[in-house]
Amino acid sequence: MTTATFSSLRGSRRAGPRLGEWDRHLRPLLLLLPSLLCLGAFTYWPIASVAVDSLFGRRLGEKSATFAGIGNYLRLAADAKFEAAALNNLLYAALTVVPSVVLALAFALLLQRSTRFTATLRALLFFPTMIPLIGAAALWTFLFLPTVGLIDYYLGRLVPLSINWLGDPDTALVALSIVTVWKNAGYYMLFYIAALQAVPGELLEAATLDGAGAWQRLRHVILPQIAPTTAFVAVIALIQSVTAIDHVIVMTRGGPNDATNLLLYYVFQTATELHDSGKAAAATVATLAILLIVSGFGIRVFERGAGHAE
Amino acid sequence: MTRLRRFPLAAMALAAALASSVAASAATKIDFYFPVPVQGALATEMARLVKEFNEKHPEVEVTAAYTGSYDDTRLKTQAAIEAGKPPAVALMSANFVQEFVIAGQIVPVDELLAENGGDPKTFLDDFWPALRGNATADGKIYAIPFQNSTPLVYINVDHFKAAGLDPNKPPATWAEFVAAAEKLTVREGDRVTRYGFEMPGGYDYLGWLTQSFAMSNGGQFFNVNMPGEVYYDQPSTLGAVQLLHDLVFTHKAMPQGVIEANQVSTDFFAGKASMVLLSTGSLSFIRKGAKFPYTVAFVPRNVRNAVPIGGGSLIFFKGITPEQRKAAWVFASWMTSAETLGSWSRFTGYFSPRKSSYDLPEMKSFVAEHPDALIAVKQLEFAQPWLSTYNVVAVRKAIEDEVQAVLSGKKQPAEAVRDAQRTANDILKPYNEKIAHVTVF
Amino acid sequence: MRSRGAALAGIAAAGAIALVWSAPLLWMLVASLRPDSFGALDMASLWPSGPLSLENFREAFESGDFLLCYLNTLIVVAGTLGVQLVTVSLAGYAFARLKFPGRDLVFYLFLLQLMIVPPVLIVPNFKTVTALGIHDTLWAVMAPYWASAFGTFLMRQTFRSLPRDFEDAAAIDGCNLLQLLRYVLLPIARPALVAFSIVSVVAHWNEFLWPLMAIDSPGRRTLTLGLAAFVSGAEGAAQWGLIAAGTLIVSLPLLAAFVAFQRQFVNSFVFSGIK
Repeated sequence: MTTATFSSLRGSRRAGPRLGEWDRHLRPLLLLLPSLLCLGAFTYWPIASVAVDSLFGRRLGEKSATFAGIGNYLRLAADAKFEAAALNNLLYAALTVVPSVVLALAFALLLQRSTRFTATLRALLFFPTMIPLIGAAALWTFLFLPTVGLIDYYLGRLVPLSINWLGDPDTALVALSIVTVWKNAGYYMLFYIAALQAVPGELLEAATLDGAGAWQRLRHVILPQIAPTTAFVAVIALIQSVTAIDHVIVMTRGGPNDATNLLLYYVFQTATELHDSGKAAAATVATLAILLIVSGFGIRVFERGAGHAE
Repeated sequence: MTRLRRFPLAAMALAAALASSVAASAATKIDFYFPVPVQGALATEMARLVKEFNEKHPEVEVTAAYTGSYDDTRLKTQAAIEAGKPPAVALMSANFVQEFVIAGQIVPVDELLAENGGDPKTFLDDFWPALRGNATADGKIYAIPFQNSTPLVYINVDHFKAAGLDPNKPPATWAEFVAAAEKLTVREGDRVTRYGFEMPGGYDYLGWLTQSFAMSNGGQFFNVNMPGEVYYDQPSTLGAVQLLHDLVFTHKAMPQGVIEANQVSTDFFAGKASMVLLSTGSLSFIRKGAKFPYTVAFVPRNVRNAVPIGGGSLIFFKGITPEQRKAAWVFASWMTSAETLGSWSRFTGYFSPRKSSYDLPEMKSFVAEHPDALIAVKQLEFAQPWLSTYNVVAVRKAIEDEVQAVLSGKKQPAEAVRDAQRTANDILKPYNEKIAHVTVF
Repeated sequence: MRSRGAALAGIAAAGAIALVWSAPLLWMLVASLRPDSFGALDMASLWPSGPLSLENFREAFESGDFLLCYLNTLIVVAGTLGVQLVTVSLAGYAFARLKFPGRDLVFYLFLLQLMIVPPVLIVPNFKTVTALGIHDTLWAVMAPYWASAFGTFLMRQTFRSLPRDFEDAAAIDGCNLLQLLRYVLLPIARPALVAFSIVSVVAHWNEFLWPLMAIDSPGRRTLTLGLAAFVSGAEGAAQWGLIAAGTLIVSLPLLAAFVAFQRQFVNSFVFSGIK
């Protein structure tokens, strides 16, 4: 370490604003450097290479790539399968984000007080988060089996219907969403339990004195107070609805008849099955752009809400 | 200070686990990628085989990397090639070989034979003829078959007898098959409580089985000699799809929608399905899991008896050192000897690709004990290559998606095969454009 | 009285939901103990009928070298988390407290990590770890995760919520920045570190695709690779009991740890920066 960097971390008797010009720039850099090194090697470099790839075309058996300009993006825009995957993903996001956020909040409201009983229930609700996805996917494959599976075995006694959950193009995406909600709601619940503890008791008491019922307290006091958490959880859930697709790979592989083909699976197929690396890269860049815009918006909501706590 | 005292132990474990490679021996090190498409115990058995090889051949040290499913194996192999660190040998799904040939990433076995004093002309003579098609491309051998299978009909004998059918005379033709499936189906009012027939409709399996029916309907399914042509909209394939459609919707003897292989086997064990069509690779599981007498039968014919082969072969990658190439050959030769293939076959339920494996005494007594294993081998007489084209997975999915739509009641067979052909043609276009237009430089 | 009735109804509802929620895991437990692994008509029953057996566990342990897998997974999880705690604390502090040009932009660049996904990463990361000479070592499994956008975000929120008084007092006492973090801020931020640790440990304990790509040698396999060997068999026949036993073997340590430290874990979320 040079003397300058040394003093940057050690000789900081002076508080923030009085730092020297050199020190003030160097210190953040030093603090961020370990992270940036790792991000550089394992995040930015892959993003950069995928961005470059999206401008080139290379098919199976071709020795070298040829420059394609925006050709890959044009082919992508014209691809009905990409459009279908985007629509599927939109539906999947709606089917996972909304239920898991609502359920997580409901769980947290019911279990916010800490007793031995609620602690047990919290643990039971959080358990699915800790099951490895390849194991959970295999379990659910059994649960969804028509006639012999768990769902039909019990529900079939109440209502005489036999749904081929994973094997029917109309229900397969719903089935995958159920697995996702099952796995994630308990996780998001933890954030909500934390948020509910931070809602000032006086506010709730004042509302009660004003004659507000439970529903009105929830709507007018609790929900506004925990809005930043909702924004945060929704963003995480949304990002996951695009990026966490292991169970699609294990349970349906995008089928039947492409009914569960999501954006990322489309990328995966285009790259590994069609060997069309250019179009796959273009689809990746497009997906990344969508995610950035949507989650950037969500983060801003979160920041605005959390800002007043500072 | 317990934390400090524990530290050395943890540090030692860490060091041992992290050590990249200990350069202690002078043995040539090679990587071998293998998937486990059947069951976990195979990974242990493969580890045992490789260990035995390493002990017998001190000059070679093989690292056996378990690489997930066949698809995962392909994914990892591609990544390793692009990173400039290909394995020396990989066990790859037999119908992926063609793509590696087109990509120019694998070494012809002909070259390895020439380097090691073998003869390409006679090398495949001991392998079942049905396997040769998927092992060769452009007149050269590119792969050595290792574990192989064909589709096979499994029959619940009790159900057969109860329905007045003779389990010793399983249905041999499509007409007999449909009649039997109908008879075996049990209904309570509108609800079916037992299906006469089930087969996997998920990706990979469905393409293989559709090909099987198209072939037994006299078809070829794809151009064995040129990887740019498939025959999805031909009458033979249409007939196959029509058969499946009728089993579901006309005869209601097969469940609607897609069911995966694990459900088919579960339904068979639970007595919810009387006849199922699965791989011969499932044979040892059926033997282990069925609590009732069962029997096996050929896939029924309409025009002829014919089935596609399935399974995996060993392939060899470019981009390794000459020493590693030599070592890879020593390893592969040992792995594909009649003895090793025979013992792997007995353990897994796959059949041995070498004819001579079945002349070994261990194999003779095994087959005598399990006559059903012999039926699988007998069907090999009628076996032919498995769909193998440019961008083969996508081309296979083109027909699978359409058949899935038919099974789910979303499309009629005629429209489905037409659409499948159109999709496949689009996928094959980049290759066919080169074939169709001879470029003059 | 009305509110007590409502509270009881709420508890009852929570109990019912938790029961439905845990049905799949309950089935996993029962199925893993059933001797008939392949399935029969009452395979789905949650009531263990007939004799129970540990046969599935025996077979699972024979199929995969799980003890070694446990050790490797522990090393990966600890080695990932250990470095992460350092990187996210430093970066979180920088984003929360220091003013520098482009701070917001750099922060958003960090968040990109949350959005970039495995299929995109496989080939470039394979190349990177090969170039670094760490392919087929546990380092290769850990290294891509040494920076964590999620952790940085969490620490940033936590540091922001702390009053500046601590730092001012520490500065007067002559603490340098590292001492300030080590002895003053991190102990206060402990709940956030614990909350992040849970998320990190669960994620890396259960990761599958990247270890599959990064590891060749059988001796360096992690738990999920051992599990995959018998859940992904396509050509065989599904052995549900075996799958259930394997999944249980893999997840049991996490489940047990959560039960044991449930209260502390939940409290750590309560006192972390996310609220």
